[in-house]
Amino acid sequence: MLGRQWQSRTAAGLVLSVALSATLEAQFVTREEALAAVFPDAEVEAERVFLTEDQMHRAAELAGGDPPSALVARYLAREGGAVVGRAYVETHVVRTKRESLLISLDASGTVRRIDVTAFLEPPEYVASERWLDQYAGRPLSQDLALGREIRPIAGGTLTAIAANGAVRRVLAIDHVLEADR
Amino acid sequence: MLAFVVSGGRAWAQPPDADTDQSDVDSDSRTEGESSHQPSDLEELQRQLDILAEEVERLRSGEEEAVELSEDQVRALGLAPSAARSYERSRGVSIAGYGEMLYERFSGANQAGDPSERTSQIDFLRAIIYAGYRFNDKFLFNSEIEIEHADEVFVEFAYLDYLVHKNLGIRGGLVLLPMGLVNEFHEPTVFLGAERPVTESVIIPSTWRENGGGVHGSAGMFSYRAYVVNGLAGANFSSEGIRSGRQKGSKAKAENFAFTGRLDVTPTPGVFVGVSFYTGGSGQGDIAIDGHNFDVRATIVDVHGQAQIRGFDVRGLFANASIGDALQLNEVLGKTGTSGVAEAMRGGYMQAGYDVLSQSNALGDTQLTPYYRWERVDTQATMPVGFDRSRSTDNTFNTIGVEVKPIPNIVVKADYGWVSHDAETSVNQFSIGLGYVF
Repeated sequence: MLGRQWQSRTAAGLVLSVALSATLEAQFVTREEALAAVFPDAEVEAERVFLTEDQMHRAAELAGGDPPSALVARYLAREGGAVVGRAYVETHVVRTKRESLLISLDASGTVRRIDVTAFLEPPEYVASERWLDQYAGRPLSQDLALGREIRPIAGGTLTAIAANGAVRRVLAIDHVLEADR
Repeated sequence: MLAFVVSGGRAWAQPPDADTDQSDVDSDSRTEGESSHQPSDLEELQRQLDILAEEVERLRSGEEEAVELSEDQVRALGLAPSAARSYERSRGVSIAGYGEMLYERFSGANQAGDPSERTSQIDFLRAIIYAGYRFNDKFLFNSEIEIEHADEVFVEFAYLDYLVHKNLGIRGGLVLLPMGLVNEFHEPTVFLGAERPVTESVIIPSTWRENGGGVHGSAGMFSYRAYVVNGLAGANFSSEGIRSGRQKGSKAKAENFAFTGRLDVTPTPGVFVGVSFYTGGSGQGDIAIDGHNFDVRATIVDVHGQAQIRGFDVRGLFANASIGDALQLNEVLGKTGTSGVAEAMRGGYMQAGYDVLSQSNALGDTQLTPYYRWERVDTQATMPVGFDRSRSTDNTFNTIGVEVKPIPNIVVKADYGWVSHDAETSVNQFSIGLGYVF
């Protein structure tokens, strides 16, 4: 049996943790915070692009799945007038609730970094930074899939499937938009 | 220095030359009397479209609601502005679930060749609804309501979480104990095999949940959980393990508490190793001789690992359980001979599977994974003085099977298991499992 003194100390520690926690940071970054971290020296311009039917069709073929909407929210990062990167907000359902990822690309269209900006499922299912880091430097390819270049999340299969689909859709949309530029 | 151009966003259907095309159309269609109004009208429409698009996109994203607290409101909460941000975040109900059905067909003869007299069975093992509610960015409720065998209702877990920091959460309620590979992640699409490994049924009695609370979180490659919970009920231990000692959160006796936790290391995505432990009294005031209560301390330690790389899925676990005051426990329970509760129990398994479709796009998301599991479980590894080992409690299992996932949320599994022990009364079985998760 655990001693009563030990139990009291544990309870006191938990209460203290709760009290101190009000000064600590929130769980997810905002997209503005994420953009500032990815493109620290850039001027970032928000864009909202309406895909044409042809662009939707081409993006779906490349991604292996339909874009969720013709409305695409993205940001262009410029340094000295030159575009150094683009970032897309991708929102999708994991189980029954939504997740939003800010997927940042470099100028050539490969993944630079991914940030979770909203995750409404229970937090134990959220993809970790280390897992999302697998995508850094990767372009769109057939091998960009779970069980190939991308490893799964133990106990988080649906999260991994949702995130991988999101990355593929963003890379496909970016490819199509840049091709039409 | 980062600068956001808030009003510079624009929307177009043809990205390349939308501005040029539109100005051409404007000049061509301009008529006398309207020439001074149309461009500004179009600009206003463009501005309004931008605003609407931004609103739609923000609503769609699930990010922070556009509810801003005034300084007075923040002061009324008694919080610093950053702490008050949690009151502005999204809320909502979350629903999910899973279920599994199991068909078991037993061999007609046991290990010695005698009639097995086991009856085939098909059971809707579990139908589960997860229900959660996020009060705000920091507080949430999560639960799993289970109907077992189609007619038994349980609360598998129901807890409140306080998300203190990205590295720290505080949890309280009916919690799953953070032991082994299966107990916390027991959905049928997660583990290989029509049935869970026996080690994670009798040594780590999944699904194991008790009342209590503690902390959880992760930092870098490390993740951890540590809880204080009510202890097991040792009066229900048997020669077959400690599974019946779970109190399941229902009017649980709390004369003895326990401490449990785990630490996992994920050196690279898809690969992790870790250790879990549980220690606490199980007497609960029920194991007393001549007025002296015995703690019956149960201590369980497991080491585990898992690797999922390029279609391969390899897992292994070893668990050891020791029971203090086993002699006195057996005396109070009236157990004799080979029916006694052991001082030590242990078990472990290694399993491997390979998704043969993982490197091909031919069948889309379909997965086809043959697997093999070797397992040994001994629930009477060490007996107290005066008690003998049963010849049927040290079992070796060899299971070979295949699972098919037409989509990641649905699985069909079929396997055949060979079981052996010294008494030669074990019975092999063929199993088919059907599972879903949403």
